[in-house]
Amino acid sequence: MTWPALRTILDGAVVTAALAAVSILLSLPLGLLLALLRWRRIPMVAGVLAAFVSVVRATPFVTLVLFVFFILPSAGLELEPVPAAILALTLNTAAFSSEIWRSALQTFPRDQLEAATAFGLSERATFTRIVFPQIWRANLGPLVSEVTILLKCTPAVAVIGVVEITRAAGRVGAETYEPLPPFLVATLIYTALIATLVRGQRVVERRIARRFGWVRP
Amino acid sequence: MAEIDAAISVRGVCKDFDGFEVLRDIDLDLAPGTTTCILGPSGSGKSTFLRCLNWLEEPSAGSIRIDGTLIGRSGEGKAARPMARRELARARTSIAMVFQHFALWPHLTVLGNVIEAPVHVVGRPRRQAEEEGRAILARVGLAEKADAYPHTLSGGQKQRVAISRALAMKPKVILFDEPTSALDPEMVGEVLGVIRELAKEGLTMVVVTHEMGFARDVADTIVFMDGGRIREVATPTAFFTNPQSDRAQRFIRRHG
Repeated sequence: MTWPALRTILDGAVVTAALAAVSILLSLPLGLLLALLRWRRIPMVAGVLAAFVSVVRATPFVTLVLFVFFILPSAGLELEPVPAAILALTLNTAAFSSEIWRSALQTFPRDQLEAATAFGLSERATFTRIVFPQIWRANLGPLVSEVTILLKCTPAVAVIGVVEITRAAGRVGAETYEPLPPFLVATLIYTALIATLVRGQRVVERRIARRFGWVRP
Repeated sequence: MAEIDAAISVRGVCKDFDGFEVLRDIDLDLAPGTTTCILGPSGSGKSTFLRCLNWLEEPSAGSIRIDGTLIGRSGEGKAARPMARRELARARTSIAMVFQHFALWPHLTVLGNVIEAPVHVVGRPRRQAEEEGRAILARVGLAEKADAYPHTLSGGQKQRVAISRALAMKPKVILFDEPTSALDPEMVGEVLGVIRELAKEGLTMVVVTHEMGFARDVADTIVFMDGGRIREVATPTAFFTNPQSDRAQRFIRRHG
């Protein structure tokens, strides 16, 4: 494979990594916010959010990307391909991760919450000081797994013309009539990205275990 | 005893859960510096009553004053209105609680548990809170556990941490909800020993318990509840040697 061909794929890798990074940073907090709003059981809001989450979870990701890019403009939201891709990825991962956050909140030990109330902690302090520090650690595994799924969803944004790894590899393959080398490179890059995420998870988990002495089974 | 002098003053407290009456028309005054044990069969409403005192359960009717200050509602009778959350939280800082199942926060160290509310609710400087916290832990025999995490402790040690957490608030009143019921028998003594010491120091404490021997030795006042009502309020000697009601007599025969 020639250097320019490799460059094309590496450029695609930068796009994929950037899309994923921005979407992760937006979607995990948004998922938490959705879960918190549903946890409060505000009558109308909870229903609307539950419906939103169900619809997004049921929609194939490619369909969601097409929806954001082609349908939202008629509702007045016209986006360039890259922002549209980020929005689609963010909505998708926010919906899925909100279910992780929600079950974490629902199963949070009641007695700890009661103790916080009895000692005068405000709702905000109870969340920031007691609940959040525990639920993110306990759900690191599922959250990272959600993030790897996000990474693997990124080729779908090629349908609206964003050139990421897979699309770039496809182009190189089409030009050289040798699809194997570019797709091998693409696979290697995906593996490296996901290995980085999993490695990051391990490091954090080990640090938690060292500090708190929790031995993972 | 004049109502205004009472550390805890309860008037006409009722509580029902979905139409089922758990507490009926409870009046009680407890003097400052005294230890009160609430006794009674399971389901008599003792824990619910205790939890009403710091508004963890909201009474359906009635008023509760801690050291003269109304809890949970501002104003009485027709003028009564639920307290704002922030106001209620502030009121709760003068009523500490010790739970049956400890309810420690597992992600914080022992000292972290003890100073959490003093620092983040009361706003005490961290260094001062830590010094005070370590002194309290030393008092309950846990000085060397300050930096340990709760899951490394025995049940008795956890409950002593929970008591330290309560003491660190410098509360006017400490509520104990069956503090030894979740403990292995050999650890009951160490926890009761700590509470006994606190009683000698003149803290105002209300203890829901099944430990008859402890109640007899330590309590200044016994409150006997049954069927959601207070049936008897007496000194331990009077209660255990000469109970007035049939129910109390039966209860003592079974448990005493």
